[in-house]
Amino acid sequence: MSVQAQLTKGKISLEGSARTVTEFFMYGINSILFQRGIYPIEDFEVQKKYGLDIWVSNDQQVVKYLDKIMASVEEWLNAGKINKLVLAVNTRESRETLERWQFDVTLVEEEAVAAGEKPKPAKSEKALRMEIQAIFRQIAASVSFLPIIEEKCTFNILVYADSDAQVPTTWTDSDPLHVKNAEQVRLRSFSTDAHRIEALVAYRRDPELC
Amino acid sequence: MLENQAKAALGSGAPSQAKAPARALKDERLVRPSPRSAGKPVAMPAEGTGLALRVGGPPSPRAKKKSAAQYDRFIPSRSAMDMASSQFNIARADADAPLDGATAAYQEEIARACGVSINKRILTFREEAPTSERDDLRQVYSRPALKSSASTGAKRRILNTPERVLDAPGLVDDYYLNLLDWSSGNLLAIGLDQSVYLWNASTGDVYSLCQLEGESYIASVKWTGDGSYLAIGTSGGDVQVWDAESQSRVRTMAGHQARVGVMSWERHTLSSGCLDGSIWNHDVRIANHKTAELVAHSNEVCGLAWRSDGVLLASGGNDNLLNIWDARSTVPKFSKTQHTAAVRALAWSPWKLDLLASGGGSYDRHVHFWNTTTTARLNSIDTGSQVTSIRWSVEYRELVTSHGFPHNHLALWSYPSLAKIVDIPAHDKRVLHTAVSPDGQTIATAASDESLKFWRIFEARPKTGKAGKAAAVAAAASATMPAAAGDSGAGMAASAAGALDISRPFTIR
Repeated sequence: MSVQAQLTKGKISLEGSARTVTEFFMYGINSILFQRGIYPIEDFEVQKKYGLDIWVSNDQQVVKYLDKIMASVEEWLNAGKINKLVLAVNTRESRETLERWQFDVTLVEEEAVAAGEKPKPAKSEKALRMEIQAIFRQIAASVSFLPIIEEKCTFNILVYADSDAQVPTTWTDSDPLHVKNAEQVRLRSFSTDAHRIEALVAYRRDPELC
Repeated sequence: MLENQAKAALGSGAPSQAKAPARALKDERLVRPSPRSAGKPVAMPAEGTGLALRVGGPPSPRAKKKSAAQYDRFIPSRSAMDMASSQFNIARADADAPLDGATAAYQEEIARACGVSINKRILTFREEAPTSERDDLRQVYSRPALKSSASTGAKRRILNTPERVLDAPGLVDDYYLNLLDWSSGNLLAIGLDQSVYLWNASTGDVYSLCQLEGESYIASVKWTGDGSYLAIGTSGGDVQVWDAESQSRVRTMAGHQARVGVMSWERHTLSSGCLDGSIWNHDVRIANHKTAELVAHSNEVCGLAWRSDGVLLASGGNDNLLNIWDARSTVPKFSKTQHTAAVRALAWSPWKLDLLASGGGSYDRHVHFWNTTTTARLNSIDTGSQVTSIRWSVEYRELVTSHGFPHNHLALWSYPSLAKIVDIPAHDKRVLHTAVSPDGQTIATAASDESLKFWRIFEARPKTGKAGKAAAVAAAASATMPAAAGDSGAGMAASAAGALDISRPFTIR
């Protein structure tokens, strides 16, 4: 069911919102992998989404890997058990975290309705798209201040979930993988009618530039 | 720990201020699906008991997860309570002081503000992110210090086609035998049914070393470390030692009651694994050759490998056990039951002394990596097919695994990232045996489709311009030599009952 159809019925349902957020994460992660050079440029192709050209990986292994992760993430979003999604970029040699892209997920509750006020109008798809577009532009623009990554890197996706979330065996507990001496930059946020996503990037403070 | 952080950051006035945040948090808690433990303390005040402080203290946040379910919050009568101890509990300020409900809520609020989370799990996907194939090879070739890109003509090639193919008729299709071994003198020994043939990889000559009588067949072959003697295990239980130079039998060591399917040399000691599950250590220099009997397998011993320093012996059996023996004792140092099928593939890492890789049979299909000093399992790979052997590379940080059911392929993995570098579809039937050439560049594989193929997987890195060219010329020369010797070889082959035919088509790079 497309976002449009759901919206015409009224407020977007939790499942629809989860789908939107998962799609956003998928494209966001691909975009970051491209921008930061985790995979060579030849492994990416352009797809049109949110009114932008977004670089998406066409390496089958990467696509499969991300699909598996996103399937679990979508389940957790539907259940409301996920609080944060983190993409940590580590060097392959020493597994040291160079960059950390953090997306906070908060559930937007029906507080207005409970208090007897007029319910907020359903968010139009266009407005949602503009907000997401803004984040993608910011991710692309962040290249200007993020330090250049020289070493070969790999990435890890971390999920901060509630302790009572259903965790399949493919996931295991981990450290938060914080960046040492981090500089943090808060990026724009967007919210669907059910979820609010805030983005934040933490990167290694370059000792020379200080 | 967390409490201290939060307390230190905001002064110790927390408990008194906690009441207001507690009430404000109430709605949020009740609406959100809350973690079991943190939710409870704040819900209490809402019920109007007026008992904001928890007497007797809840367990600290770390312990909350376990005991939250059993904790009973109903307090029937004040008089029955011990006010003195409870006041003491509230007053004391050590790190593990149990938090009362309001404080816990306050701490959580602070924690959330600081970005630290309690009662939340940080999950990561078990599988590692895939590496781009292109990427990995580039990294394998160029060392991190070199900024300049790889020079032309210096790419590593791992070809999908064999360098050479030889015929191996009569190769017994049995997973439990070990019929291929390559000596350090560049002689390849292969056991074909009742005979052992030696193929000289430098000249291309082939000749039959021995022929067994009667019903017995060759069950295993193993060269000594220096390549001067070849041990042959038979189906009857005899172990024969042959001199390769003079092509004569030096001694026969009898005693085993059933076939000897696998052997491993450690200088002058030969360990032989038997169908009945026993492993015998023979000292080949003395008349009474049996020096030790190691019994820990209840089924056929199919994998046996001495560590290069001779301190540990690894053995794998059809009973799915992996045993590690200390050279000085007859009781295993430790035993691993992780595999769910026969453990035939065993290989010690050439660069890390205590690293052992073991591979399981068709039901298991996993390769496990062990640290034999700490006995811990370091890593595992699910390879998808029956693992018939594992070979580590000396030049690269890689290992190649050969497989049987169902894919019959060779897989090259990098270590320690365990990323699969390449899959080589090697044979039409199970790849039963592998052997590494003495220069470490070529892997020979023998399969039940009666062919013996050679794969140049670990091509040596060209050192410098001139030296590299010299190496390349030498490699080309050695490849063409067998062609020149092909005629004489064919003659020899004819004399050896035409068994090992090297004049069959082979490709030379």
